[in-house]
Amino acid sequence: MKKLVEIKDVSKIYNPGENEVRALNHVSLIIGEGEFVAIIGQSGSGKSTLMNMLGCLDTPTSGKYYLHGQDVSHMTDDEQSDVRNREIGFIFQGFNLIPSLTALENVELPLIYRGVGKKEREKLAKAALDNVGLKNRMTHRPNEMSGGQQQRVAIARAIAQAPPILLADEPTGNLDSGSSKEIINIIKRLYQEGRTVIIITHDPGIAKQAKRIITISDGKIVSDEINPDYE
Amino acid sequence: MYLEYIKSALSSIRNNKGRSFLTMLGIIIGISSVLTVLIIGDGMKETVNGEMDSIGATTVSVSLDATKTEKTFSKQQFDEIEAGISGIYGISPGIQYWGYFITPRKTFDAMISGESQVQELAGTVTMVHGRYITKTDVDDSKKVIVVSQAAAKAMFGYEEVVGRTIEIDSYNGTNELLIIGVRKDNAMDTAYASYLDEPTLMGTIPYTTLCDVYQIDPNSVSSSFSIYLDSENKDQVLAKTRSVVENVMGLRGENAVKVSSGYGFDATTDSIMTIITSVIAIIAAISLLVGGIGVMNIMTVSVTERTREIGIRKSLGARTNSILTQFLAEAAILTFLGGVIGILFGVSISYLICKVVGFSFIVNPMLVLAVVMVSTAIGLFFGIYPAKRAARLDPIEALRTE
Repeated sequence: MKKLVEIKDVSKIYNPGENEVRALNHVSLIIGEGEFVAIIGQSGSGKSTLMNMLGCLDTPTSGKYYLHGQDVSHMTDDEQSDVRNREIGFIFQGFNLIPSLTALENVELPLIYRGVGKKEREKLAKAALDNVGLKNRMTHRPNEMSGGQQQRVAIARAIAQAPPILLADEPTGNLDSGSSKEIINIIKRLYQEGRTVIIITHDPGIAKQAKRIITISDGKIVSDEINPDYE
Repeated sequence: MYLEYIKSALSSIRNNKGRSFLTMLGIIIGISSVLTVLIIGDGMKETVNGEMDSIGATTVSVSLDATKTEKTFSKQQFDEIEAGISGIYGISPGIQYWGYFITPRKTFDAMISGESQVQELAGTVTMVHGRYITKTDVDDSKKVIVVSQAAAKAMFGYEEVVGRTIEIDSYNGTNELLIIGVRKDNAMDTAYASYLDEPTLMGTIPYTTLCDVYQIDPNSVSSSFSIYLDSENKDQVLAKTRSVVENVMGLRGENAVKVSSGYGFDATTDSIMTIITSVIAIIAAISLLVGGIGVMNIMTVSVTERTREIGIRKSLGARTNSILTQFLAEAAILTFLGGVIGILFGVSISYLICKVVGFSFIVNPMLVLAVVMVSTAIGLFFGIYPAKRAARLDPIEALRTE
C-alpha cells in the first residue's frame, strides 16, 4: 500500500508561553492509499486540529506533514490553497454550501479554482451529482433542499474533481438518523470505488463504520486499530 | 475565470437588490450630475458657436483702451483700417447721440446713429423705401437721413416719406436733413417707439454728417468701431485686425487695442464658464467620493456577512487573489451599474434642460466612455480595502463563523 498521508512528530501549540495549549502533542500517523479511516475523539481532544492539519488548512508548529510525498508543512497560503484544491475533498458537518449558488454551481466551485473549462466543469459536476443521486436537483439552491440532500451536494462537490483524499468532518452531525445512514452509505460506496476516506467524529457509531479507527485524546493518538466489526 | 467572478458578483448584487441600489445611489447621483454639467456646458458652447456660424454676417468690435492711449480714430484712419483688413464688408463707428426730430407738427425725442454704408452691404439693415447711406454720403457729409418705419409713421402718419425733410436738433442748433430712405423696424425701433409718453425715434445718418451736426472733430470721431464681416471669415479677420489697427494708429506694442467678437465666448465669458463648470464639477466629484465611500462601507459589511462563504471558497482551493478579484469585481460592477444608470439619468436630465433652455443637445461618446471608466475605477479603488480584508481571512476562522 502506497503512503498517502505521513505525519511525523507533529505538534500544534496555540498561545505559546505560559498559557500554551498543546492541541497536538508529537503525533505521528501514516495513512495509505485506499484506506477508510475514522479519527475519533472527544471535543477538545485535538481531532479538529488534526483535521485542519490533514486538510492543509493549518500548518504544524513542529514536525512534518508529507502529502503524496510532498512536504506541505511549511507552505504559503496560496500553495496550501492549491494543495487543498488538488488533493482534498472536504465534507463538513455544516455542509458549507454557498447559499446563493445552485447545487450545480456549488459543485463546480473547486473546478473553477482549478481552472477547468466551463464545458468540462459542467460535465464533471453533473456526473458527481448523479453519483450521489441528485441528478434532478441541480438547479436547486441549498435552502430548497433537506439536510441530507445538502450533504449529498457537499459530497458531490468533494468528489467532483476526484481528489485523492476525502476528508469528512462530522459528516452526519447535523442530520437525522435516516439521512445519516444514507450519507454513511454513500461515503462507504465512495471508499469501495477506491477513494481514500478519512472521517473525523466524536460518535463511536459513525467511527465503527470505518475500517481503521484512530482514537485521539489530549492531543495524542491513544489507539490505532483495524476495526474488527467492519463489514 | 473572470466571467465567473462577474457572474458571482451579479448574483450577489441581485440577492441584495435594495441594498445594492441604495449603495449605487451615491454613484448614480454623482455620475448623473457630472454628466449633466458637462453635456449642458457642451451644448451651450455649441449653441453659441452654432449661432455664429448660422448667421451670415457678424460683427467684431474694436476699441482703444482709454487707460493706455488718448488717441481716437479719425475718418481717414477708419478708411485706412477698412482698406487694410481684407475679407470684410467694411467698418462703421456706430456712434449714437440723443437729439430731437422736428416736424412742422411736433418735436420728437430721437436717437441718431452715425454709421457708414457698410450695414446695407452686410445685410444687417433692410430698406423698405428709398435707399440707405452710400459711400458718397459719408465722404461728402451729405445732410441725409434714413429713418425707421416706426419713426416715419410717428412723424408723418405714413411710411413712404422719402424726399421729405426733417429738422434735427442737436442741442447746439438745428440742421435740415433730407430723408433718403425708410428701413425696416428692428426690435429696438419697435421697443423705443412704443413708449407711451415719450416715444424715441431712430434715425441713421452718415457718421461724418453726425460729426458736423454735433460739432465733433472729424479727426477724433470715436474710440471704437465695428467691423462687419461674414462669420466664416471671422478667425482670419480676428487674427489680423489688431496689427492693422496698431499700425494705422501707431500703437505698436502698447497693448491698447481691444478686439472682441460680438457673439460667442470672449475671454471673460469663457473663464466665467470655466469657473462655474469647475465648481459644479468639484461638487459632483465630492458626491462621487461620498458614493465611493458608501461602496466601501457596504462591501465591508458584505465581507463580514460572507466570511463563511469566503472560508468555504478558500477551503475549496481559492487563492488569495481569487477572493480579492471576486470582491473587487463586485465593487466595480456595482459602481459600473451605478455609472450606467447615472448616465441614463444624466443624459435625460441634460436633454430636458437643453430643450427647455434651447441649447443644442450633443452627447460626446468619448465623454460617456470616460464616465463609465471613472465610475468603474471608483469601485475598484474603494473596493480594495474590503477585498483585501476578505482575501486575508484565515480559512479556519472563517469556517468557524456562523
